[in-house]
Amino acid sequence: MKIFLTLLLIMLSLSFVMAQETPFKKKYINHTELGALVGRVKYAQGGPDDRVESKVSITAQTFNGIQMSPRLGVGVTVGADWYKTALITPIAAGIRYDLPSRGTARFFALADAGYGFTWLHQDSDGFDTKGGLMINPGIGLRAGKPGASSVTISLTYKRQEAFVKKPAYYTQIKRDEDRVYNRIAIRLGISF
Amino acid sequence: MKTQLLPFIVLVFSIGLFSCNDQCKETRITRRLTPLTRSLTDLRNSVKSETKHELVRPGKIYTKGNYLFINEIKEGIHVVDNSDPANPRFVSFIVIPGNGDIAVRNNILYADSFSDLVALDISDPENAKEVSRVENVFRSGQFDGVGWALLNNTGGPVISIQDYTVDYVTETVTTNCEENWAGNGGWFWNDMLSSKASFSSSGSASSSAQTNGQAGSMARFALYDKYLYTVEQNNMHLFNISNPAQPGDFKTVTTNFNIETIFPYQNKLFLGTTTGMLIFDNANPAEPKQLSAFQHGRACDPVVVHNDIAYVTLRTGSACPGTANQMDLVDVSDATAPKLIKTYQMENPHGLSINFPTLFLCEGDKGLKVFDVKDKMTIDQHLLSFYKDMDAYDVISLGSNLMLIGKDGFYQYDASDPKNLRLLSKIPVKKAVP
Repeated sequence: MKIFLTLLLIMLSLSFVMAQETPFKKKYINHTELGALVGRVKYAQGGPDDRVESKVSITAQTFNGIQMSPRLGVGVTVGADWYKTALITPIAAGIRYDLPSRGTARFFALADAGYGFTWLHQDSDGFDTKGGLMINPGIGLRAGKPGASSVTISLTYKRQEAFVKKPAYYTQIKRDEDRVYNRIAIRLGISF
Repeated sequence: MKTQLLPFIVLVFSIGLFSCNDQCKETRITRRLTPLTRSLTDLRNSVKSETKHELVRPGKIYTKGNYLFINEIKEGIHVVDNSDPANPRFVSFIVIPGNGDIAVRNNILYADSFSDLVALDISDPENAKEVSRVENVFRSGQFDGVGWALLNNTGGPVISIQDYTVDYVTETVTTNCEENWAGNGGWFWNDMLSSKASFSSSGSASSSAQTNGQAGSMARFALYDKYLYTVEQNNMHLFNISNPAQPGDFKTVTTNFNIETIFPYQNKLFLGTTTGMLIFDNANPAEPKQLSAFQHGRACDPVVVHNDIAYVTLRTGSACPGTANQMDLVDVSDATAPKLIKTYQMENPHGLSINFPTLFLCEGDKGLKVFDVKDKMTIDQHLLSFYKDMDAYDVISLGSNLMLIGKDGFYQYDASDPKNLRLLSKIPVKKAVP
């Protein structure tokens, strides 16, 4: 929280200094991030009482695209998410949009939407995991001079669907699971 | 702008962190059993011939001459006139409660009916008649993994059996989004002991002057000389059928294995068990003697034998335990010491049938593979054809006629060119279970 306020103060103080306009030219941009997907799960298996567990997974992704306008970048995001029992490889269309702000620490909005594949996943015997739709919108803060490479921190919401066929127990003839991973993603990254 | 945005972001992510729960719903279709006591007198009186029925849950298949006998699991037998494989004709339905297996010698059909062995005269296939019965020879059994047993609690005469009615229940539970192997009381498998639709080719050993039908590698009944062999759990029963219309309970051979199938080949009996293959010497048909056991992990294992080579398939999947999907070639020229020749990786092999040098192998929902097995060391390089757009559970090859059963029906093919099967007919299955 303190960091946020400090960053905000820096931003406000610098906003008066920044005034330079440069002619815009489309260029290649990259935004690579590494972080954690945090959330929890509440479930009631085998009884009436709910159990709650916290969940943390590692996530990595790289956005490659084109700066279409001074604010808007459009591209493709490829990543990898190591959920507890699924390694999902999302491939998504992404945007990076710089919110109106000045200074060396600026807010930006980011959103990716696509499909998570299970190409790199390996199933336990008897299981068959399929990926599903993925959306990942959120907001971030960029520290660095405009137009140069910057360090980012982002907070996004990530929703990843998956479907798993499971081996059936003795009296079952079919057992499968619809999964929705609802996570907050906290990521650090670099952008250039 | 900034001062408004920041508290908003903090608020949104606080709510997000609080409410971000993974949501996983597991849907299970469970078979629910309700106990039911059935009177043996009622069961014994209900054997009769009726007009034709539709296929609902076909079980094992048996062919004899122009006729095809399709077991309807636990209900009875469909009699099909197959003189024209392009146009099989349902003739009648024989109601036999608790039936799972079939064997035919001359014009006598042997069928199990829960605890009894029933002999029916089928010289008029439209009007089969019970001619005799051996009572209370099978103590217990299973259909699709649902057991039944003779009730014998007071030591008095056995008058009823414990059976179960089955219904299917769909339930949805929330899970922790993990694989939860052992959540439901044990590591059992659904229908490893089931008698699902299955049959395979068989070198049915016919002795002179007697005519037997063709059973499959999944069969629990086998005919040899003047005996009918049946397998049940760890027992092998012998029935004396020197007078085919009057089978007599002759002998019981006990093993330490859970026997699933019996396959007679020359003067040997090959028993498929849940843990391996047993070879019995049957030179004296009244005294089968165990020669050897070829052990493998727990798996489903239809076996066929040709020219001293046993083709054993192992598979995994929802119906079978184990970790192997493969076909083992086992040298059984010395039946006291079977030796593994080579293992071929398969996808999910089910039934198989050999019409040397062609081997038909069902790969479940992956399809049907046709191999040339002349060179036993390079079978994998001699895949003649692979039909992927079908569900193949089991197959039997009789000359150029190939019969195949899958989840949706019973098919017959002209296989005179193994590279190019020609569909002759299809009997659709009316699906009853999900």
